Parts: sequence; C-alpha cells; structure tokens
Amino acid sequence: MAKFALRYALAFIVLLPAQGVVFNHMTLFSVAVPLVFLWLLVSVPVTVGTNLTMLLGFLTGLGVDIFCDTPGVNALSCTVVSFAHKPLFHLYSSFDDDLGGRSPSSASMGAPAFVKFLLTTVALYCVLMFTIEAFQMFNFRMWILRVTSSTIYTFIMLYAADCLRPRRE
Amino acid sequence: MNELLAFIVRNSKWFVFVLLATASCVLLFRGDPYRQHIFTTSAGAMASGVYKGANELTSYFNLHEINEDLNRRNAELQAELSAARERLQLLDEAAFTDTLVADSGLRPFEFVVAHVINNSISRPFNYITVNKGSRDGIRPELGVIDRNGVVGIVSNVGPGSSRVISLLNPHFRLSCKLKSTDYFGSLVWDGLAPDEALLEELPRHTNFAPGDTVVTSGYSAVFPAGLPVGVVMENESDRNQNFFTLRVRLLADFTTLGNVQVVINNRAEELRALTAGEENDSRRNPFGN
Repeated sequence: MAKFALRYALAFIVLLPAQGVVFNHMTLFSVAVPLVFLWLLVSVPVTVGTNLTMLLGFLTGLGVDIFCDTPGVNALSCTVVSFAHKPLFHLYSSFDDDLGGRSPSSASMGAPAFVKFLLTTVALYCVLMFTIEAFQMFNFRMWILRVTSSTIYTFIMLYAADCLRPRRE
Repeated sequence: MNELLAFIVRNSKWFVFVLLATASCVLLFRGDPYRQHIFTTSAGAMASGVYKGANELTSYFNLHEINEDLNRRNAELQAELSAARERLQLLDEAAFTDTLVADSGLRPFEFVVAHVINNSISRPFNYITVNKGSRDGIRPELGVIDRNGVVGIVSNVGPGSSRVISLLNPHFRLSCKLKSTDYFGSLVWDGLAPDEALLEELPRHTNFAPGDTVVTSGYSAVFPAGLPVGVVMENESDRNQNFFTLRVRLLADFTTLGNVQVVINNRAEELRALTAGEENDSRRNPFGN
C-alpha cells in the first residue's frame, strides 16, 4: 500500500502538469485529445476503498481542471468514473478477484480483460466529460467526433504505456 | 443514534459521492468566466508556474517561424509608414492652410507585450494564459491582439500572469464591421474550426463579397476601431432572413500564438461611466413625472 501511495503521488505530480503542458497540445485534427492522466484513475487497486478512490479521482480531476481551465468538468467526470471503478473492474474479472492489491494492468489481469476494462473506463470518461462540456454548447457531430476519437487516442496511449511497463509488479 | 451512524457508515460511499459531485457542480455551474477564482484557473500560481517553466524550455523551437512573421510584418509596416508619412505631409499642408489639428485615433491606447504560456484550441470553451499580470498593469476586460488580429479579452488576473478568454470561446462576442461598408455585426465562435467564426446580425441590405476584411467596430472600450479580425468566406444564412450571418476566416493563427499585445484603453473608465450614465437615464422617466 505504501509503495502504491508513493508511486501514485509521483505519477500525480508528473502526469497533471504533463497533461497541461504536453498532452493537451498533442491533439489530432483539433478534435482528439489524449487524456493520459486517466492512468491515475485506472491504476488504483480495487482493494483501495471506494471513498478514497473517489477522493483521489476528485483531486485528479480538480488538478486537470486548474491546468485546462475547465472548472468542474474533469472533477465531476473523474468522481463518477472513480465511483464506477470497482464495478467496471468486476465486469471483466471474477467478483472475488482483487489482484492481491496490485494495480489493474495487462500483467495482473491478463491482456484481454485489461483491454476491455481500459477501453470501458476511457469511453465512460470521454462520454461523461464531453457530454458535460456539451451542456453549454451542443453540436452532435462534434460531440460524437470528440468522444470516439479521444477514446481511441487515449486508449492507444494508455495501452502502449502499460505494455512498456516492466512485467514484474 | 447508533443505527443512524451505522446507516451513514454503511452508505458512506454514496454520501461521499454526492458531496464530491456537488463540489464539482458548484465549480461547473459558476458559469461566468470573470467570476472564477484565480486559483482555479490557469493563471493561478501553481499552473502558471508550470506553464512558464515549460514555456522557457520550448519557446526557442519556433523562433524561425516567428522571425519570418516579423520580417513580413516589418515589410508591411514599412509600407504603412511611407503611406502615413505622405498622409502626414498632406495634413501638415492642410493644417498650415486651414489651421486643422491632426489627431491620432490610437493615442488613447497603450500596448503591453506579453507571451502566451498556455493556449487551447480544441475545447468548446478555449482560454489562453499570458505571462503578464497585475504587476504589469493588466486588469480584467482588456483586449488582447497579436500581429495578425484580435485574440481575446482578459478575464482573470494574477500578480504575474493572466487568463484570457480566447476568440475561440462562445462566451466572447466581438463587435465587428465590414471594412468596405462599415456595416457592423457581432463575431462569435461556433465551435467548429479553430480558424473560423461567424459574423452575426449583419443587416439584410449589407453588401459584401467573399474576401472582404472584417475589422473591429470600436464601439466598445476594449479594442480600437479598425483592428483586423478576419476575412469573409461565405454567407451562412438564408437570404430571406432579416439578418445575415457570414462565415469568417480568422486572421490570428491560434495554433501558433506566441507574442501578443494587451490593449490598455486609457479612456475606458470614462467611456464606462458615460455608458452607465446612459443606462441610468433610460431607467428614469424621460418626462420627469
């Protein structure tokens, strides 16, 4: 748990500024944005309590909101996705499996289950975030473009990052 | 009491969820971009510090493009300068014969050069962060331009950085006119492309052609009149409607914003006081009964 806390704090300090400074500018066709900070939500072990998971999610979203000038949009989306973290995980793995406290990854869950879990989490987040943004200015074509392209782009980035991680946990 | 506590503990995740979601919604629905707290924007100390550091590292990479642009702009200014000299000579001659006093329309305005340290173009509501703040005389509701045209308007100001509502943000409406005819309308971004916007509410009898230049109208205290904004692309609305809506290609390239100028209008307070006076007058009964 202490190892996870340290790794998470480090990732938090690195990923949030990186999202604002680097990844927000790596847009494709001014539509697809790689939301790499979602690793902070995906990597929380399911053994961590739901309340703490939600608090971490809220703080992550708040940090992204400060860097991206989107007050509340990412905080709300991250809170909802963190709330759904455990149920989403158990959609693709048995109910009594908690990975022994390890973070969900292709090494701990197996590639097929992790791909489905990651894709569902990213898609849920993109649908939520772009829908909340669309409340103020709705354009269906742009909404669907943003959701699908950002989901695919983010999924590829996160899965690539997961594949590059050392296999030993 | 114990049962109540047990109930709360048992369902604590729902309570925490509602609490955090409510906090997010408070941030989300505080819609006015001018009323947001400086710490929750990119002009806050933490975010602007990160952006300034990153900007110092990366600002050298596009010096070639900036240099090319400056050369082009320099050539344009040289041409304008020679034209202005000729005009000044004519005015001097007129002043000599008619005792006419030549005046510059830009004299009430001062310009503070700032550097863009963060910029977004792909969101429905885009903002820009610049590295100048209240210490440099920046305050909310000042206009921001770059070498090509209008960029945005200052919304939140920190000591050393400011957040600007980009022209690519539907919260920002800019009073503009067609340079050729002086008919004016309201320019607003429709969220589709980062280099296009809509010029709305143009009177139906307006004559225009694709390629006409759109400039600021000067009907506000924020921008001087005649600043370039864009070029007319096509008519977006049905000719049967009472007003035209034109699609405009923006002159400012928001994908490569570097140096910008913050426009300080020294007469802004005077103009606002006058406008406030007009509003008070309109509330009063004009017949004094």
